[in-house]
Amino acid sequence: MNTPDDTSLRQMVSLDKGLTVERTRLLSEADCRLIHEGSCRLLSETGVRVESDAAVRIFREHGAILYKDRIRIPRAMVERAVQQAANTIALHAKNPDNHITIDVNTPAIYFGTGGQALNVLHYENSEFVRKPATTRDLIEIVRICEQMDNVDFITRPVEPDVSEEEMDLTKTRILREYTSKHMNLANLVQTDNLPDIIETVGDPLLISFIASLTVSPLNLVSPTTDKFLKMVEHDIPVSISSCPQAGTTAPLSEIGELVQVNAEVLSAVVLANLVRSGARVFYRGIPISADLYSDGSPRWCQPESIRRVALITDLTYFYGIPCCGTAAVSDEKALNPQTVAEKTLSWVFEAASGAQFINSALGMLEQVLTVCPEQYIIDDMALTLIKQLFNQSPEYNVRELAETAVSEALGLFDVSVQPETAEDISDRIDFILTRQEDYSSETVNAGVELIQEAVESGRSSSKFMRAARTGLRSGWLYKGPRMEGSLDLTEVHNIRNDILAT
Amino acid sequence: MSDILEQIRKNVIEGRIDSADEGFDGDMAGEPGVIELVNRGLEDSLSPDTILNEAVSPGMEEVGRRYESGEYLIPDMLAAAECVSEATKILEPLLVDGDINSRGKFIIATVEGDLHDIGKNIVSTLLRGAGFEVEDLGVGIEAREVVNAVEKSQAKFLGLSALLTTTMGHMEEVIELLHENGLRDKIFVCIGGAPTSQEFAEKIGADLYGADAFDAINKLEAIA
Repeated sequence: MNTPDDTSLRQMVSLDKGLTVERTRLLSEADCRLIHEGSCRLLSETGVRVESDAAVRIFREHGAILYKDRIRIPRAMVERAVQQAANTIALHAKNPDNHITIDVNTPAIYFGTGGQALNVLHYENSEFVRKPATTRDLIEIVRICEQMDNVDFITRPVEPDVSEEEMDLTKTRILREYTSKHMNLANLVQTDNLPDIIETVGDPLLISFIASLTVSPLNLVSPTTDKFLKMVEHDIPVSISSCPQAGTTAPLSEIGELVQVNAEVLSAVVLANLVRSGARVFYRGIPISADLYSDGSPRWCQPESIRRVALITDLTYFYGIPCCGTAAVSDEKALNPQTVAEKTLSWVFEAASGAQFINSALGMLEQVLTVCPEQYIIDDMALTLIKQLFNQSPEYNVRELAETAVSEALGLFDVSVQPETAEDISDRIDFILTRQEDYSSETVNAGVELIQEAVESGRSSSKFMRAARTGLRSGWLYKGPRMEGSLDLTEVHNIRNDILAT
Repeated sequence: MSDILEQIRKNVIEGRIDSADEGFDGDMAGEPGVIELVNRGLEDSLSPDTILNEAVSPGMEEVGRRYESGEYLIPDMLAAAECVSEATKILEPLLVDGDINSRGKFIIATVEGDLHDIGKNIVSTLLRGAGFEVEDLGVGIEAREVVNAVEKSQAKFLGLSALLTTTMGHMEEVIELLHENGLRDKIFVCIGGAPTSQEFAEKIGADLYGADAFDAINKLEAIA
């Protein structure tokens, strides 16, 4: 909408160290318009529950309607905000060579770290041991990532183990000292600390944030929304992050989940642009799934989640809002062949989609709960390989490239792909590329109505799970084997030791 | 077994609360579900304990078997447990003392500052299906409010949920307040949620850690 120029939908253009690829589109313009229609219906008919009094006041002053405890946002307000939102965001770094620019008209792909992991895997006495993350871990990981060619920016990987009052400034000082790359501080622990953070870094262009202000379905929560308002007031770039889980906090249906996550992100895009027209916000939708085969935990790196996160990129291009991508958050708890395989598929499809400013792309295990120094090095090696494959074949076939990438990435760690593994990888790629549902007004409306029923019932997770039974039996959640075996990490350990010895 | 009892049993297995539910295959909307069938059974002069013991409970037992065998998944279990809960709501006031075996009262809440309710709701539903009397305080509940509810209700069990690292500390606050009010020895405290662990449960002095909803139910069924 913001940039109707169709050429930008097809061709990536390299910027700085960015990767140049031709976009693989999984949603057409017409599909995106259907999703947009459904999201506008949700926002105007159901609305979002907004906990922040300040945000409620801003919405109402500009024409949104407070009905019971929800803010209903008229379509015109949504479309005006989309037009107003910045379409170029400059992210500076201490070393000017590391500046990056996210521009919807000349897009480029950048990878960075991510997360707020609670645990770190440490290699001790020939085995990995899981321990709570500490300040020392934060320093070591940042030092390692500073040396990684494929880490274009640093999103704070773990919090320092200091008091809440000290957390914001401690992590800011650590990032300022140990990295020359752009610093994404992720969250703001205490709103009042923002001026001190800006003073500590000197130049506000050096930092950005992620605001996870939505709780699905359709809630903008406090205090994150109040922190978000402060970030926008200070004109600091911020990614609007929404991460519903299909089957528990959103419909299992891909269409239904997209309609919902899009409405959630757009509600915050509206709020940001009411505070500051031309707000520098990224669209970060992470429509993953819930593991309805076992305990309902999130599935970040399974085929349906990889596909849905890639579909979000199409929506960001449709709107012309800078994209904050998400990739390679492994569901595995350990460094193993399955981790490498699922991460590789995620990188390939997220890059092929044309996602930019790709967060969480290195180091992450066990959904978002754990990181590991060695995993950053493994991921950097694999990303080098993937970039080489894209660069070797600008007219790439995404299926062939993905198969080759998985096989060669595993080969880096002395794992050969057996026939049964090759079959599973092929099945996963098929699943990512295959549309399970028809995109039509009927299917979009069915999604909207389920979300409305779920919100009105007050027991949304129960509604979504009950409704998921049919989709589960239709195969909407991938089911397949996982790879066994181990990786040869001799070189990885050596790299880690060399970096930390200096 | 009468036709109506068999229909109730089948609908519990299928997890169809009412006639609006389409069922597994999406083709059963309009057919009576558990609520309509239980009411019809009562109109046909079936006794509440017959409906409960010969249709509802056997249906749920079959669901448990299918879940154990892998044929059924979480949503199927949840849907069936909701059917049991709805049937119980209709039948319980009509039962005479001794007809229903409650495993005890269970208070459940998501702690202060945390609005996540999925885990709590799944556990609540499964607890009701397993015969516990559940009082759900909701989300974002302050320690004082939890302790007041415990004091007022004389519940045997307390379940606390948190999904955020920044809110899990409130679980310890609740336990400390229970101690201060002389209630700690009278209640069995269970905790769960993504950032929690067995180690954390031991650290804060909780009695039971549920790695997920089913782990919690299995452990509780073993002791209640």
